[in-house]
Amino acid sequence: MSQITVFEAKKIVTMDPNRSAATHVAIREGKILAVGGAECGDQWGDVIHDKTLSHAVLTPGFVEGHAHMMAGAMWRYAYAGYHDRIDPKGKLWTGMRDIDAVVDGLTEFEGTLAKDEPLVGWGFDPIFLSSERLSAKHLDQISTDRPVAIMFSNFHLMCVNSKALEMAGYDEGTNAEGVVKGPDGKPTGELQEMAAMFPIMRRLGIDFRGLSQTPEAIDDYGEVAQRAGVTTITDLFSSIEDDDLAIMLKITSKSDFPLRIVPVLGAMGTPSEVADRAETLAKSSSDKLRLGAVKLMTDGSIQGWTARVKWPHYVGGHPNGIWNTPPEQIFALCAEMQKRGIQMHIHVNGDEAAEASIDAIEAALRLHPGQGHRHVLQHCQMMGRDLYERAFELGCCANIFSNHIWYFGDQHAALTIGQDRAERMNAARTALDIGVNIALHSDAPVTPLGPLFTAWCAVNRQTMTGKTLGAAQCISVDEALYAITMGAAYTLKLDSEIGSIEAGKTADFAVLGDDPTAVDPMSLKDVPVLGTVSGGVVHLL
Amino acid sequence: MNRLPLTVIGGYLGAGKTTLINRLLAEGHGQRVLVMVNDFGAINIDAALLTSSSEDTLELSNGCVCCTMGADLFMAVGDVLDRPKRPDHLVIEASGIADPARIAQVALAEPDLSYGGVISVVDALNFDALSRDVQIGAQVRGQVDVADLILVSKTQNGALPTALGLPKAPVLDLALIDDVAPLILGATLGQAPKPTAEIHPAYVAWSGTGEPSTRTALQSKLDNRPKGLMRFKGFVQGIDGSDFEVHCVGLSVSIKPARNVQNTQVVGIGPKGRIDAKTLEAWWHGD
Repeated sequence: MSQITVFEAKKIVTMDPNRSAATHVAIREGKILAVGGAECGDQWGDVIHDKTLSHAVLTPGFVEGHAHMMAGAMWRYAYAGYHDRIDPKGKLWTGMRDIDAVVDGLTEFEGTLAKDEPLVGWGFDPIFLSSERLSAKHLDQISTDRPVAIMFSNFHLMCVNSKALEMAGYDEGTNAEGVVKGPDGKPTGELQEMAAMFPIMRRLGIDFRGLSQTPEAIDDYGEVAQRAGVTTITDLFSSIEDDDLAIMLKITSKSDFPLRIVPVLGAMGTPSEVADRAETLAKSSSDKLRLGAVKLMTDGSIQGWTARVKWPHYVGGHPNGIWNTPPEQIFALCAEMQKRGIQMHIHVNGDEAAEASIDAIEAALRLHPGQGHRHVLQHCQMMGRDLYERAFELGCCANIFSNHIWYFGDQHAALTIGQDRAERMNAARTALDIGVNIALHSDAPVTPLGPLFTAWCAVNRQTMTGKTLGAAQCISVDEALYAITMGAAYTLKLDSEIGSIEAGKTADFAVLGDDPTAVDPMSLKDVPVLGTVSGGVVHLL
Repeated sequence: MNRLPLTVIGGYLGAGKTTLINRLLAEGHGQRVLVMVNDFGAINIDAALLTSSSEDTLELSNGCVCCTMGADLFMAVGDVLDRPKRPDHLVIEASGIADPARIAQVALAEPDLSYGGVISVVDALNFDALSRDVQIGAQVRGQVDVADLILVSKTQNGALPTALGLPKAPVLDLALIDDVAPLILGATLGQAPKPTAEIHPAYVAWSGTGEPSTRTALQSKLDNRPKGLMRFKGFVQGIDGSDFEVHCVGLSVSIKPARNVQNTQVVGIGPKGRIDAKTLEAWWHGD
């Protein structure tokens, strides 16, 4: 008979309506045996009482339903973003509010590099800086003999210094689109889109493949998650070659690995090839690695004006966005996945993309009727009442990008879709009122991983300038906490195993310094995360 | 190592990109071409031509290789450039939704690549309807707008889609073309000059030598090249030790620095009836 451990906590918020609060949880074989008071485990045999967590509040481990594995390994590069962020090791990187701060911050980082190492930064976002554009002239202040490349937060642009320009052979004679030139005819250092960035990335050894699915990247993902109270996370658009799978299985099966990863296969190739691969991968699933679902891309992003949006389209006359998968292919993929019983996560930022995807799911269900598919619409930023009604009718879930309200809400109102539609963006209230199962997400590393912050966004709908964007769409703290635990678990078809603290489920907890249900809702994001418990194993920071 | 020419083949789903690639791979053009495709399953090679095949690569007895590009197109291009022996030409099949110019731009940016142009394939049966489609029309038209050469597939009695209008890029009916390789790859340099030789009965090929030139003079000459010159490439000796490598495809001109060019040598190609060697000769040696 295995050991029974009873953990005491200041409070346990269970997300189980049968016993919504408790003080003790009994664990055996990594699973929850009983929940209640100090004696809750006694009827199951001899117990050991453990006070390691007695100072903390426990909630179910948070579930991040939309993130990317590079969120951990990005920190190999220097952070150059506008907002404060904390890296996997717990170090605070102060946000850089103007170009001088970027130069100062990176100059300090430059001192820590080996002689031959290039300086690579990430996270820079010009949408927040009203001053002049970042250029080689600024980056030359950091170094003139070491190549410097700063990747922007959208991954579509970078800025490099003169040394890097020279290495790529960029000069007055270069006539490639995307190599931006100044009034003097010389490259400014700004490079737009992959074709122009490629010669730099090749010469500086910048490899985004290497930021996913290497042992280090998987461990980093574990650390980032632990720091955010997350015990189950997705990697939503994964290529998953056989070598990658072997590495992921090896790392995630370590007894002290603190995270369950749900890599979702990117739908690249013909529908039947994608379905075949998803079925093969599903057979390799383990406790900490769950495979078998697929991700469809449809449109781009709203802040990049590449999302497909319905009339009246974008303010300022920007042309409508682009399809990354043409509608007819979305229909073909939906039909094949529905036929084969494969769950889909479908990226839909703009409302036109959401509508096309819902049309495609409806058509697929007419061809291949079947309950329980739980296809998930991801981002759902512009879905209104009409589309949520249809999502509900079809049995779809919605994973809502609430972080956008704070990070880009002001920009959406002023520069992308205008005030009216910005106020009804990420409409969690509407979705819940209609009865759609929702989750809330960060899309890390696009915005930082932190479900409590994401919940705070959905509850308060504050923008960076302190405005409330669409008060009618605010949800309660309880609803938001449910969405980041049970709601997200449901979207991954893991709600029978995780998402609440109740007998029979896996012992996955977030270990918090305060009670998120008792603090002022405006302080929800400030509740300290002390660590996690994953499969009964305690991982304090 | 040699600069690797890159040609991108674009066009919407079902336009005929794969058919074009199947034709290219089967033709006897004598070049070691590496083709990266989206839909590997649709590649159809006569078994007699295959020397090996695996899950993601086909090797042909004529030296050509066809492979899948994997998850990251640009990384795959980097891998080709890093091979100990580069192929003679790289051809990439863009996805049916992609803007092929976004891929081809890398050949202008990357010093180790040379610009082999964007060829967009248009399906005569469906293009008119597709280009009017409210959801996808703008992207479909965009693929044609960026093309250096437009190849029309599935024509009936030579009728071109009316929605094509009068594009600036040359338009050719694939039904009238026996060999596609000269259009996709151009003529080969470095072989013994074959004055006014015809590399194929349907094409006129011309090779020239000439006086050293400045970059400005070269640019101006290329800007005024005769219509009907589909492809033009070569090495041009500069006057102050700065030499050039030149690639023109359809409307595009790319001039990159080159080293140690001993003699200017250029080759051009175009469809017979639209261009002749005399015109080319007069243009190259004229003022």
